[in-house]
Amino acid sequence: MSAPKASGSETLAPETLPAGFETLEPFVDRWAATTCAARSERRSQSTAEERSTFFDAAAPLLDPALAYLDTRPLPELTPADKRLLNLMLSLGHVQMAVEVHREMEPEHAAARASMEITRSVTDLA
Amino acid sequence: MERAARRNRARRHNKDQRMNAETAIAYRPPTDRTAWLGKDPIPAKAYHDPAYFELERQAIFMRTWLQIGHVCELSEPGSFIRRDLEFAEASILIVRGKDETIRAFHNVCTHRGTQLTGESEGRVNGFICPYHMWNFGLDGQLRSAPDFANFFTSKEDCALRQVAVDTCGGLIFINLARQPAQNLKEFLGEYLVDQLEQTPCARATQFSEYTYNLDANWKLDYDNFQESYHLKFIHSRSGAASFTAENPFGYPEDYGFYGPHRTQTFWPGFDPNAATAFQTLVFGKASQFAAEKGLLPHPTNRQYYALFPNFFLFGSPTQHFSHTVYPLSARRSRGVIRLYWVGEAQSASELMAREYAFVVARDIHAEDVNVIRAGQRGLNSGALEHIHFQAMEGLCRHLYVQSNEMVEKYKREQAAQELEA
Repeated sequence: MSAPKASGSETLAPETLPAGFETLEPFVDRWAATTCAARSERRSQSTAEERSTFFDAAAPLLDPALAYLDTRPLPELTPADKRLLNLMLSLGHVQMAVEVHREMEPEHAAARASMEITRSVTDLA
Repeated sequence: MERAARRNRARRHNKDQRMNAETAIAYRPPTDRTAWLGKDPIPAKAYHDPAYFELERQAIFMRTWLQIGHVCELSEPGSFIRRDLEFAEASILIVRGKDETIRAFHNVCTHRGTQLTGESEGRVNGFICPYHMWNFGLDGQLRSAPDFANFFTSKEDCALRQVAVDTCGGLIFINLARQPAQNLKEFLGEYLVDQLEQTPCARATQFSEYTYNLDANWKLDYDNFQESYHLKFIHSRSGAASFTAENPFGYPEDYGFYGPHRTQTFWPGFDPNAATAFQTLVFGKASQFAAEKGLLPHPTNRQYYALFPNFFLFGSPTQHFSHTVYPLSARRSRGVIRLYWVGEAQSASELMAREYAFVVARDIHAEDVNVIRAGQRGLNSGALEHIHFQAMEGLCRHLYVQSNEMVEKYKREQAAQELEA
């Protein structure tokens, strides 16, 4: 259902994430959001299938992704590294939906909308 | 009673034998700690009646120390925050001066009352009124005003109106009374001052925050977060680790009462099978970072400090969080929840741990709003004359008793003043 990609993105796509995490490329557009509020919003606007597909693909890579990203200080992360990190931060949101709220997620999303995020310490510059 | 207690102890003992030795911790609900508060039903109107709320507003909120911010928001001279308090129709500026002193002022130009700034925070050299350019220093003094020689007053008389402000444990408090009856430390008492100064919140350098507006009386809203009775029903999944055979409601292990304030100690028992592999990984990292900063273990972890009237700080093991409930009207309130962090995250794993803690806390809080709102709708009908608190809702009872005592005291003061007049 997603809009067709802009021309040229096919050639760029393999470079958007660090080596070893290519299997997560299909999730970058939707889930590599750069602020906590945006990640929360993406979760609330996604379907159960989108969440579970992402979770199943990314959860096994959480530990290796953090191990890789932890090898350098945050200010030295490359754009590709940051994309990977933002994907993992999104995974934290999605995990609550997939593993905790499960079929109750739609009503949780409605209640969550009343909790406005006013400050985050996890938005990468 | 004694026989029942013996039976309970025996039952617990048998359960201990059955449970895995690593997770079994004897639990005894601290019902005796709340007995002194009595058993009376509580007047329902205290939770919906506009006339009663007006008494609370005058008796409590207009003259009690209120938590309003954190010192990390005022990191350098000239840093300021603006806080609007709807219940007082007041806008307050809290400012760190060149002398490092924190002062609070009404955001009101002394010329003709114009609000000086609409910015919610920032760093400035002073405040200049947008109307006629009156210029105030960080200490609130009127520095200059165009054509001031034509006025019939002095600059000294035109300083910004000061509001009482003080800090404890990194938290900033204000008091809207012109002359507060007690200073902040007297109000909090020795024990709580000592505890608050020890908390990781006292060392916090940054925080994450979310807020909500709710159609609910401030006490009805706040009470939800003072009792564990609802956890099993409203947080059955998100709070699953808290419910064990030993303590099926996830009740706290102790309560304490300090003047108008109160504390609880959360029970350390948890169901280790409730965590998924994802949670074990991320909470493991969070614990590691907290341990590296000397925050885990910490004597204030699992402690809950409720500071009268509308603030509490809870020592979750990996970071402390606070919740302030601002009254907006008899039937509306606003909550501000903050997760306090010591130092900036230094690695991807630490960012992950902080984001996930934030997500979990917000998800759990979001689960509460619908039932609180439904409670208010029910009370607004006037169908109930009374509501009921059980022994393990003793903190809610204490809040009502304390609030109502202040309301009664205020009524006596008003009556005495009328007699004098």
